[in-house]
Parts: sequence; C-alpha cells; structure tokens
Amino acid sequence: MATDLATLRSPVPPVRREIPHTVSPGLWTLGWRRLRSDRVGMVSLAIVALFILMMTLSGTGLVARDWAREVGVNYAPPSWAGAAPAGGLLATPDTGVVTQGAAGAPAPEFKSSVVDPLADVLAELKGEKPAGGASAGDEKSVDPLADVMADIRKGKPVAEAAAEERRATLPMGGDKWGRDVLKKTIKGSETSIFVGLASAFVATFLGSLFGALAGYYGRWVDDFFNWFYSVFSSIPDLLLILAVAAVLQQKGTMTIVLILGLTGWTGVFRLIRAEYLKHKSREYVQAADAIGASNPRRMFMHIFPNVSHVVLVQLSILVVAFIKAEVILSFLGFGVPVDVVSWGSMLNEAQNELILGKWWQLVAAGTAMAILVTAFSLFTDALRDALDPKLKGRAGA
Amino acid sequence: MTAYIVRRLWQMIPTMLGVILLVFFLFNWVGGDPAYVLAGKISNQEQIDNIRRQLGVDQPFYVQLGIFVKQILTGDFGASWSTNERVSHILVTRLGPSLTVLVPLMILGTAISIALALAVAYVRGSLTDRAVMILCTIALSVSILVYIIVFQYFFAYKLGWFPVQGWGDSFVENLVVYASLPILIGLAVSIAPNLRLYRTFVLDEINQDYVRTARAKGVSENRIMWLHVLRNASIPIITHLMAALPGLLLGSFLIERFFSIPGIGREIILAVERSDFPVIKAITVYVAFATIATNLLADLTYKAVDPRVQLK
Amino acid sequence: MNDAIRPAAAPVASAAADPLLRVRDLRVSFRLDRDNVFEAVKGISFDVPRDSTVALVGESGSGKSVTSLAILGLLPPENSIVDPRSEILYGGRNLATLPGAELRKLRGAEISMIFQEPMTSLNPVFTVGYQLEEVLMLHMGMTGRQARKRAVDVMREVGIPEPERRIDAYPSQLSGGQQQRVMIAMAIACEPKMLIADEPTTALDVTIQKQILDLIADLQKRRQMSVLFITHDLAVVGEIADHVVVMRHGEIREQGAARAVFETPQDSYTKALLQCRPQLTRRPLRLPVIDDFIQGVGPQHVEERPRGVAPDDPIVLDVRNLGKSFWSREGIFGKREFKAVKDVSFKLPKGKTLGLVGESGSGKTTVGLTLMRLHEATTGEAIFEGRDLLAMSPREFMQYKRRIQIIFQNPYASLNPRFTVGQIVTEPMQIHGIGSNAQARTEMAFELLAKVGLPEVSFYKYPHEFSGGQRQRIAIARCLTMKPDILICDESVSALDVSVQAQVLNLLQDLQDEFGLSYIFISHDLAVVKYISDQVMVMNNGEIVEIADSDEIYRNPLQPYTKRLLASIPKGWQARS
Repeated sequence: MATDLATLRSPVPPVRREIPHTVSPGLWTLGWRRLRSDRVGMVSLAIVALFILMMTLSGTGLVARDWAREVGVNYAPPSWAGAAPAGGLLATPDTGVVTQGAAGAPAPEFKSSVVDPLADVLAELKGEKPAGGASAGDEKSVDPLADVMADIRKGKPVAEAAAEERRATLPMGGDKWGRDVLKKTIKGSETSIFVGLASAFVATFLGSLFGALAGYYGRWVDDFFNWFYSVFSSIPDLLLILAVAAVLQQKGTMTIVLILGLTGWTGVFRLIRAEYLKHKSREYVQAADAIGASNPRRMFMHIFPNVSHVVLVQLSILVVAFIKAEVILSFLGFGVPVDVVSWGSMLNEAQNELILGKWWQLVAAGTAMAILVTAFSLFTDALRDALDPKLKGRAGA
Repeated sequence: MTAYIVRRLWQMIPTMLGVILLVFFLFNWVGGDPAYVLAGKISNQEQIDNIRRQLGVDQPFYVQLGIFVKQILTGDFGASWSTNERVSHILVTRLGPSLTVLVPLMILGTAISIALALAVAYVRGSLTDRAVMILCTIALSVSILVYIIVFQYFFAYKLGWFPVQGWGDSFVENLVVYASLPILIGLAVSIAPNLRLYRTFVLDEINQDYVRTARAKGVSENRIMWLHVLRNASIPIITHLMAALPGLLLGSFLIERFFSIPGIGREIILAVERSDFPVIKAITVYVAFATIATNLLADLTYKAVDPRVQLK
Repeated sequence: MNDAIRPAAAPVASAAADPLLRVRDLRVSFRLDRDNVFEAVKGISFDVPRDSTVALVGESGSGKSVTSLAILGLLPPENSIVDPRSEILYGGRNLATLPGAELRKLRGAEISMIFQEPMTSLNPVFTVGYQLEEVLMLHMGMTGRQARKRAVDVMREVGIPEPERRIDAYPSQLSGGQQQRVMIAMAIACEPKMLIADEPTTALDVTIQKQILDLIADLQKRRQMSVLFITHDLAVVGEIADHVVVMRHGEIREQGAARAVFETPQDSYTKALLQCRPQLTRRPLRLPVIDDFIQGVGPQHVEERPRGVAPDDPIVLDVRNLGKSFWSREGIFGKREFKAVKDVSFKLPKGKTLGLVGESGSGKTTVGLTLMRLHEATTGEAIFEGRDLLAMSPREFMQYKRRIQIIFQNPYASLNPRFTVGQIVTEPMQIHGIGSNAQARTEMAFELLAKVGLPEVSFYKYPHEFSGGQRQRIAIARCLTMKPDILICDESVSALDVSVQAQVLNLLQDLQDEFGLSYIFISHDLAVVKYISDQVMVMNNGEIVEIADSDEIYRNPLQPYTKRLLASIPKGWQARS
C-alpha cells in the first residue's frame, strides 16, 4: 500500500517512454478530469446540455414549431391532473370543443395582461374574471398586438386547428387560448436560454477585452477604462437596463441581447483587470518579457490562457444572471416582443391564471427555469473547483 | 486622511461628468427626438415644433447639455410628462416608502445571513454544509417573480394573513401591515445569495494563519468564530453591503410593483412604461451620484474597520 | 518505501529518564480526494526531554511541520487522519486522543507554538496587546488590568522596545522581527513547559534571524523549558540544539545527541544534508550532491576552486551610477519619491560571477530587473559592447535582449503553466529567429534539455509535472537557447531544498566553465554567495556598502554593516566545537 502511494506521488517518473511523443495532460485536461470525477457537476452539465439541445431543436423548428396552435380547450388542465374541475370560471363544454372561430372577434376595450402587463395586476384581474369566460377575444385588444397575433395565426394551419377537436386535457395543461403549455415552455426556453447565452457572450467579450487592455497596459489606458467602468458601474445594473429599454423603442430578441450585453460587462472587467494586473508582474510574464516576447504576445499567448478559466466561470455566472434578467424584463413587458414567448412572458400570464386556480403555466415555466438555473449554477461551482482546485469547497456567489 | 478625502472628491468629478454624458447620450441621441415620444403619433408638425422649442431640442447639442447640467444642479427637472407632477416632488415622496421596506429588510437579512454563514462555515465540508449550499443554489434559481406571485397568492390572497396590496399614510401602519409580506419575500429572496457570499468570506478567514495561532493559544472554537473570524470577515461583508446599497433601492422594484408600494422602484417602472423621460433621467442621475458617494463612504468605512489599510 | 532506511535508532530516552513529551509511532495521512490518501508521517517515535532543545530537521515534504501540528492537534480536521495507534504522551496523557476541551487547556498554557510567518499568524484587526491579554486572561484567569501589566512585562522580556507604546499597535505597524517577538511573547506568557517553534526564522532577514534565534535560546535557558525547533536548515540548529531528529519523506532517518549527529552522522542522508550546503570555510570545485551519499560514493576529496577577479579581466558590463525611483501618492496631489537604487556602479568581468547580497529592501533585485529593462532605470548607464543598454530605444534593445538573461527565484511561477516544456524552450528561438526552422529548433531544445540534465520526454510535458529543481533547470535551458553573455540569477536557488540547491549550483558552475558566461548572482544567502562568487557586492538601502573579492570580503570586511551581516550567518555546530 505504502509503496503504491509512494510511486503514485512521485512527481515525475523519470522513465523514458517507448514513444517519446506521448502528450502529457495539460491543465485543461487535468481540469476536465477533475470535473468528470465530480458527480454533481457532471449531472448538471448533462442537464444544461439537454436544455441547450432543446433550444437548438426548437430554434431549428424541429420541435414546438406549432406552439401557437390552440390545440386544447381554454385552460385545459394537465392530463395527469384529470379533466377540468367543475365550476371553473371558464365555460368548458363537456364536448371539449370551444368554438373559437371568433378568434378574430374584436373586443377592443379590453386590455389583456399580455399586452399591457403594466396595469395593476390584481385590480385588472377582478375586471377580467367575468370576461374570461364570456368572450375569447382577449388577445385582440391593442392595435400592434392584434396584427401580430393575426400574423401568427395566418402562418399556422388555422383551418385545421378550427376543424380539429380541442382536447380536454394537455400533457402539461393549456393556457388561456388552449395552447399547449409544454410546447410553450420549450419555445420559451429557447428564447430565454438564447438571450442568456448570447448576451453573456457579448458582456464577457467586452469585459475581458477591456479588462485585459486596462490591466495589462496600465497608465492612461487603465485610467480611461477605469473611468468608463466607474461611470457604468455607478448606475445600478437594473436601472441602466431599464433606462436603455425606455429609450430603445423597438423590441426584439436582439435588442434585449444588446441591452444586457452592453450593460453587463462591468463585473467581468473588474475581475479580468485584476487578474491581468496580478499576472503582469508574475515571473513567467517577466520571463517572457526577458526573452523578447511582444506585448500582444504576452497578453494573449502567455497571460490569457492563464486567466481563461476566470473568463469561463464568469461567462457561466453571467448566463444565469442574464436568464434571470430576461425573465424579469419580459415579465414587465420591456423584453421580448409579444409574438415571442419566453419564460418571463409566461410568468406574466401565469400570475393572473394563478388566482383563477390555473397553476400549471406558473409551475411549468418556473420549474423549467429553476431546473436549468440550478444545473447551471451547480455546474459553474464544479467548473470553478475543477479549474482552480485551490478554491475547492469555497463556492460563493 | 483629509488629503485622501479631498483627492477622492476631486476624482469623483470625472465620473459624475461621465454619468451625465452617458445619460444625455442615451436620451438625446440613442432615443431619437424626444418630441416625438412626448407628442405621440397623433400630433402634427406644428405641435411637435412647439414641443421641441419647449424642450430645447432645437438648440445645438451643447446648449441642450447645458440645460441638462443645470437641471441636475438645481434639482429642477420640470414636470413629469405623464402626470404633470413635479419631478423633484416625485423623488422626495417616493423615497420614504422604499426605505420603509428596505431598511428592516437589510438589517434582518444581514443579521440572519451572517449567523447562518458562520454556522455553515463552522461545519464546512459536512453533509449539512453541502445540503445548505445546494438548497441555496436551488432557492437562488427560482425566479423572484415566482416567489412574489406564490407568496402573494398564498399568504395574502388565499390565507388572508396580510393585505394583498396597498399603502397607508401612517408609518407604523405601513411598516406593520403593508410592509411585512414584502419584507418576508425580500428575506426569502436575499438570504440565499448573501449566505453563499458571506460563507465564502468566512471560509477565506477560517483558513488564515491567525486562526491556527488562536487555536494554538487554546482559544475556544466559539470565540474563534464569533470574535477572531467574524471581526475579519466583517470587513468584506461591510464593503459588500455598502456597495450594494444603491442597487437595493431599486432591487425591490418588483416587490413595490406587485404590492403597489409607492416607492422609487415602482416609480421607475411606471416611468419606463410611460416613456416619462424626465423622471427616468432624474432617478438615473441621482442614483448614480448616490452610488458614487457611497463608494467613497465604503472606502472610508473600510479604513475604519481594517487597521491594515492606509489611505494616502 | 525505501529499503535503505535503517530502523531509526532508539529514541533519545537515555538523556532523561522521564521525558517531557514522548511521541510513539505517530502516523498522519491526508485525504487528497475520494480515492487517494497521502501518508505524510509514517510511524515516527522520538522524545523531547525536559529543559532541552530538540531540533526536528528535514527538507520540504519530510513531514516535520505535520508532526509539530499533530502534537497540539492543530491539523486541519477536514482532510487529516491521525492513526488511532499513534501516541503523543505528555504528563501521562495521550494528546492524540485527548478531548478537545482538555487539549485547549494545555495549548498556550503548557505547550505553546510559534510559526513561520509572523505577519499572517497574528490577527490583523486586533492590537498586539489584545492578543497577548487574551491568552493571559484565558489561562491565568487574570483581570484585564493584570493582563495588560503582565503583557507589557512579557513584551519587554522578549526585547520589544517601548512596550507601553507598542502594546496598542496593530501587527501591521510592527516590523517582521517585532511581530515574531510578539508571537514569542504570546507563546511564553503563561510560562509553558514546552515551546514548539515551526521554522520561526525562515521568513526573516539574516540579521533578524540571528536575534530571534538568540532570544529563543536565551528564553529556553532562563525558563528551563523544552523547545522543539522545526527547521530545514541544519546550520540554524547547530548552534542551539541538544538533540537532533532528521526526517525525510515522513520517516526518521537519524536521531541522537547533537554532537553525535553533527560529528559522526551514521545515516547517508544526514551526511548529505551536512555536506551539500556550501560552507564558508571550503569551496570545492563541485558541491557534493545527495546522490553521492545515497549511493554510498561518499564525498571524494576534491580540490578547492580559486576565486577572484584579476585586474586585467575583460569587462563585459560596465554599470555607472544606476538609480531607480518609485513614486507613491502623498498629500492631495503630491507624490513621494522612494529611491530603491541609488548611484550603483560596478564592472562585471567576463566569465566571472558577481555576488549581490543584501537584506530585503536593499534594492538588490531592483538592480537586476533594471539592467534587464524590466524596470526602466531612472538614472545611470549600463555599457555593453560600447553601447548604453539603458538609453536605447526598445526596438534597438531587442537585439541585445537575448544577450542578458535572467533566472527568477520562484521556479513555480517563472514557467507558464499552460505551455509544454517544448514550447517554453523553443519560444525564445522563434522570437529571435534562432535556428532555421522548427525542426532545427526542436533538435536544439533536445540538446539543451540534455545539457541541463533533463530526460528527452520532458519536451512533451508541462511544468506542473516537475519538481522545483527540475523547473529551475528548464528555466536555465530557456535562457541558454539565446546564448546569452550575462545571466542574472535572482535568488535562483533560494527556494530550493539544500540537496537540490547543490545540484543547481553545480549546473550553473558547469555552464560557466563551458560557455564562459558571466553571472550576476543575487541572493540573501551569504554562504551560497561566498561559494559561487568571484566578487561580492554588499547592498543596503539601495546603496553599495562594499565591493571586493569574495574571499577578501568574508575574511576582512571593512564596513560595519558588512561585519554585522557576516556575524549573523549561522555558524552551525562548528561554532560550538
């Protein structure tokens, strides 16, 4: 036993291997090995990978393409929970058929919360309750939305949907218009994860670049970026996001990616700048200077690989933060446009539905988000431990 | 010390100028012509010209910037575009309700988080520690929206323990009746991230050499945690708290919105919904200035609690 | 395990019938991860007799510090395992199994401990007085007032000037030496029977080191306590130890009375430790290395190497009036100048070694970095082949850069961890266009790796797979690719274990003999500098104190500072015999 351990511990077996080209494991390989031996981390990684796969499939139209089709009755309950409870506020015919041919029926004065989430929710609800059952015209309320919704429907086989029998229950229930919540959740995940990933990439790229320049070059470059940083960081993140959202009148997925990306780089900047400051005076960088390596070479070939694990961890922290931010923005109606579904817009609908006892959309969107974010956070912790073993067990915010 | 403060105050000026430029750039350039926003789509050219004159946007940009700087210095941003209420009046009256929720939330949240952080750091590596940490991660992953919706539904709507929403005139009534559920939700949301962060701070200290010295002196574990470690860990905790202060003012805007609490956070959402630019501009600039001031305060506090820091 | 190890000699029980502390079959292991356990201490036994000093000596990884922490139960509970069969007997009780509360009553009261880094070992946010009073109130049941009075007395006893004033100082307001005195004051405040000192002088400058060593020896005699002194440096304990325990790889190689261990060492490893370290009195052509002893070759008689500079030696580098200032902020807009190097002039002869010695803050490292232009010099010139290196444009300096190279102190920090050794060694050739193509450069890299004594496979490995000494060899190979004329060694062997240090010093000497390199050898270690240098330059506060041939300066120092510096070199056992 002791002998085995002794050999295991000896730093380098000075044995000449048969093939001298045996490539030794680098730090990344070692980090990956440590990550692989972390069960929680690997399970989390698998879950995150599943979500990203789902996002890709949904994005390419392979799944949940027909999420906007009204396949079920209004507020169809989840299959496993049984058919709609009697005495529901909505008229749910036993036949399971709701003639929503009146899809285009105008109900101009009524404001749906989808369109105007800004109104006082509960007060609005009280006015909506009777209306909910009586008319199905909710979605045809305010001008811009009506066009959008009509467009959506045109694109889908409306006739088919109308002809088809509406199902009394759906796997995860249905929403106000009888759309499948499961498909909606998948489509919503696509939006939320895409926004989270894309904006995190933008923010991390900006933060790393600025941080590297400021930390490495110091002097006036540092002064300039520090000034830029202190200006941006003195406006609290959410306030800045809201202010930009207020100014940018057009909504769109790319807009929100830009808003989040352009405002969220400060944290990465601070860390990467500090890393570059630290590494700049490290002996291996001084040694690179001594052998004549140029500034860009030292910055990117020597230092960057040594701080890239910090970048990676920051990236995954930002993905989580931005998914959360997107959900809040879309919930408030400052995020994705109304013809796009995201977890935030689902939660927005869900808050009204909850009071009607229709909890499934809330649970679906909330759970999907919680699972992804939990997995992502645990993966981030595992990643940090694997890439920087000195910090083991100190998982923090 | 005095020299340090003077120099820091001097250094604040470029940052403040930067904030002013950033906000000006956002609202006067990125946002397009504010006259159109204010007038809406229905107005004719004459009305728009009229508004442009009133707002001064027909002037060259440096004149507009001058107007903006003057507004900031005098605190007179004119009237809200949507309610015609004076912007200065909006700011002053909305601060109280926000603080009524935030101050108790911060005190309670910090105390609970620190106590829990010390406790889990003490049993670091154990099953309890790991379970609490995973629980925190899960708690952190649930959207704040879900917390608010569910808490409001159960505790207020279903069980009727708290009013669903509202705000009164008496401070005590507000604090006890209307603010309690928002504070509860705030605690549910804020303890998990703070606990994780503070645990890191405590763990950083637990691994320091001086803890080993204290053990070698025969000091009890309790005293080590509550005196030696906490005193050191309080330095990053205080710094973190100070830095988070201005953000907190807005951080609870969702809560304020759901519970119809007339605070700053709700005001900014209303303003964004209504494209009420003067209100947004005023809040953004003043909150930024407050942040810059707290940063200085944070550094001074840092100096006060950490004898190693020599401010020059 | 190594079969060559003889069973450790019987513990030094004979010295006293009833030793104060008896360690029997102590085994400590650490959990590395879920599957791997590392055995740090493999069943060692030794005694600490009353009223005596026992030195526990070993290189890094020997398990000496783990042993000392195990005695007081200070090992990290998360990942350390003390074998239940282990016995640490003190006053009839086994400390290894004593409940926490009982153990705490002993700690600081009967057995106390001081550590290597006084700066981090004191709590930074409490005054030193508070930390002293804490231990007095805890164990002696004193009131605050009594404790304060006693604290002042103890501070005076350990030689802190103006204790009434210093008692309210924070640790960061004291110098390193004073901090260690405070640690000692805290340790002896409750009049313990035993003091464990874990490398208490390693982090300190050589003159301070001497003072602390004398203080510990003095306190031991006056208080008649026992001291367990842990160190890597045999010379340090030679002057004070009564008994010596030599450890390697978690085992005891030899133990016995100091005289026996120093004069007639039985174990080959002990012999090696005693011989590998450069001595002030001798300068063999090559230093004996540990393998010689382990393989039983033993130290052959080797001839002495003559050192010194002749007046007609060709000069390769002529440094005149070198100065370097740093500025720090002061006042509202003011800056304060700090002169790290002031008016330094010297000549470096070709093929010779200039030793640069000084304590921390003397500016010796700054001189090296400024000559490399890793710092920009404030004043002065450095003439190399008739050109002033410091006045050139960076573009022009590029051609000269490869002619002067540097090897840093910390072999763990000076190699890029993300590069393979092959990349590290070929990179300079690429940059300077040495070698016609990649193939030629690879060939040359293999050649150089062989030259510095590394196997060929090293080319494909990463730095983290190598030990400290091997990494320093890689750094040397990297410099050699550029065929420099001058090599600056900035504390290049200071972080290495004694046995490895000898190997690297030999390598440097071989390279000088072969290629005629000129060295600027910067070190705080006076014995090493004496061994390797032809000429020695002593620096203090950024200025040159004295410069002379190495034999001359050690035999006949002219300046008081040089005298003080040389007087504080640990003389080891020889000083007593």
